[in-house]
Amino acid sequence: MKMRTLFAAGMLTSGILAAQPGAAEDLTLEFVVWNYSLETIQDNVKQFEAANPGIKVKVTDYTWPDYQDSLVLRFRGDTPTDVIYGGQDWLPAWGAAGFIAPLDAVAPAATVDELKKDIAGFALTDVTYKDKVYGLPYYADTISFIYNKKILADAGIAVPATWDEVTAAAQKLKAGGMEHPIVYEYNQELPNFYDAFVAQAYGRGAELFDKDLNPLFADPNNEAFKQLQWIADAYSKDLVQSETHESKIIPAMNTGAHAFTIVYTYVLAALNNKADQPRAGEFALAPMPGSTHATLGFAKSYVVTAKAAADPARGEAAWKFVNFMAGKPYTVAKRWAVEKGLGFGQLPLFADKDVIDAWGKWADVKALGDQAAIAKAGTYTEYSSVWSAYFRPLLAKAMVGEASVEQTMKDGAERWNQLKEQFANR
Amino acid sequence: MWTIKRFPALWLLPALLPVALMTIYPVAHAFWTSLHSVMLLFPGEPFVGLDNYERVVRSNYFQDALRNSLVFTFLAAPLVVVFGTLIALFLQRRFFGSQVVRSIVLLPWVLPGAISAVLWIWVFHPSFGVLNGLLRDLHLIDGSIPWLTSPRLALVSVVVAHVWTQIPFAVVLIMAALSAINSETLEAAAIDCRSALKRFRYIVFPEIRSMIVVLIVYNALTAFTSYDLVYAMTGGGPGTATTLLSFQIWRESFSMYDFGSGSAVAFIVVAISAVLIVGITRALPSDLFAEQ
Repeated sequence: MKMRTLFAAGMLTSGILAAQPGAAEDLTLEFVVWNYSLETIQDNVKQFEAANPGIKVKVTDYTWPDYQDSLVLRFRGDTPTDVIYGGQDWLPAWGAAGFIAPLDAVAPAATVDELKKDIAGFALTDVTYKDKVYGLPYYADTISFIYNKKILADAGIAVPATWDEVTAAAQKLKAGGMEHPIVYEYNQELPNFYDAFVAQAYGRGAELFDKDLNPLFADPNNEAFKQLQWIADAYSKDLVQSETHESKIIPAMNTGAHAFTIVYTYVLAALNNKADQPRAGEFALAPMPGSTHATLGFAKSYVVTAKAAADPARGEAAWKFVNFMAGKPYTVAKRWAVEKGLGFGQLPLFADKDVIDAWGKWADVKALGDQAAIAKAGTYTEYSSVWSAYFRPLLAKAMVGEASVEQTMKDGAERWNQLKEQFANR
Repeated sequence: MWTIKRFPALWLLPALLPVALMTIYPVAHAFWTSLHSVMLLFPGEPFVGLDNYERVVRSNYFQDALRNSLVFTFLAAPLVVVFGTLIALFLQRRFFGSQVVRSIVLLPWVLPGAISAVLWIWVFHPSFGVLNGLLRDLHLIDGSIPWLTSPRLALVSVVVAHVWTQIPFAVVLIMAALSAINSETLEAAAIDCRSALKRFRYIVFPEIRSMIVVLIVYNALTAFTSYDLVYAMTGGGPGTATTLLSFQIWRESFSMYDFGSGSAVAFIVVAISAVLIVGITRALPSDLFAEQ
């Protein structure tokens, strides 16, 4: 009797489980991100899961400085990873290593081509490797020269338009008692440490590489060479205070003890956030000093791994997720723009009233648009992230006078050529 | 007759095999990697002999990283032992609240390296840092001292933070050694000799000498292979001012995708560590390493 009861209970339990195929067939995507605004990411994921029953998304986050290394470890260690945040500087290397897949491999035919039409030029360049689109923009932004309007107005200083004028303004402020008028994000472990340098060089009209990818920056007449000399000069005149991360630049600028900084444009939104910054409203962006005022534009993106793409069900789910996060109607990209001030690569959002209203609270939207229009993409190859990891400490040493600008640029160019040759002969 | 004393090696195998697998295999694989070109971007893993070692030793960073690691080790290890011994001698006394003080002294031990790094970043921060604030309040400085961004000061700053994290372990071991000294010996010494310094030199020190040698060896190795605290505080910078060899293993492997060179640096670190151990134990002989 007891056995029969147990058997009946077992059958009933099996029947109940079989009647709930949704729970049994849930596919869980492993989504790996850096930890910027994790609560917003989680909320976006929750909305995706609600809209796509049967697909769950597990978010794993790393700090920004550790992100690239951690991803390489995951790839090398075969840790399950389906969708990731991609960076423009790592994308060619990861593509060449076979870690990531072009979106064509997982998206329905012609979908990616249709979405490409809406992506800004520099952002499209940054998500493309060997003519194939590997990601859709999570955000696309520029690096900006930011200044404190009030400090400059009080001191009777015009907004500097060249780097020499920045030096003159900083020296005048220092003479007036400001110890370090410039705050610089100085952290050789951050990829954007090199990007910020490139952005400044672009402001001068620099070309760091020719069309055959030969380095040009070791020439003393190259504007990038001159910009490194400018930074070293500013440090030697004790005009600069180093901070290791933008999160420290925001409170530092809000002490009123500094007038200039060079950071990602979205940092301006945080600087001018009236909710938690005492000097909100005092900060504005100016065109990047120099003769062309160009700057670096870049895109971070949602990328599908090769492993996910190799499994049809997983690849399809990964595409659904990427399309939800960065595809039409661009709801998530708009959310990042409105709530966090992140830039975007999807051009239609520039005409979105909600975005214009939100951005108008912390920036001159026209100035932002003008800057985006002349922003240039960086030069990224399969070996550029390896080279950047080598070159950044050299840059850091030259900035603080521990190495000569000439030797730094020479060493950087030599290493670039070595890697280029090595890669060509692989 | 069946006895467990027969075939001792056989009985030890179940315990030895997993240990051997988990140590010998990774070390052997790392050594194999160091002799091959294992770069993420390039297909194949050809044998390159000692090329990785040569490239690493000739690289821009190696001289800086080796010098920094040695300076870091030669500053940190003795400081930990000296402060650890002084604090242990102090805490051995009974006084009001001594139990509370003992617990507080152990606090840095339980903090992960990354948390300690955050604490020390805020101590050394140029604008908001406790240290600059204190110095300004005491009117010793007018401006701010760039503790972590000046190449000259950054290494000193990370040594201070590292020493702080390592002192509790030294205190615990020295206190254990002190408690093992025969109390009658100490009482007799207190009667015979009024100088505390002489009592330490002739009575206490010989008794804890072995522990001190162990601590110096341990701290030299800890400092020489230190990674997390320094990485979190300075990222090896500014420039290469705080780049240590252990950090260079990571950089070569995961930032430059060159696992062959990363493994070569790792084996260089192992070789130097072995030299350090032999050097310290020969310079500071103690019966701990004597052959009966």
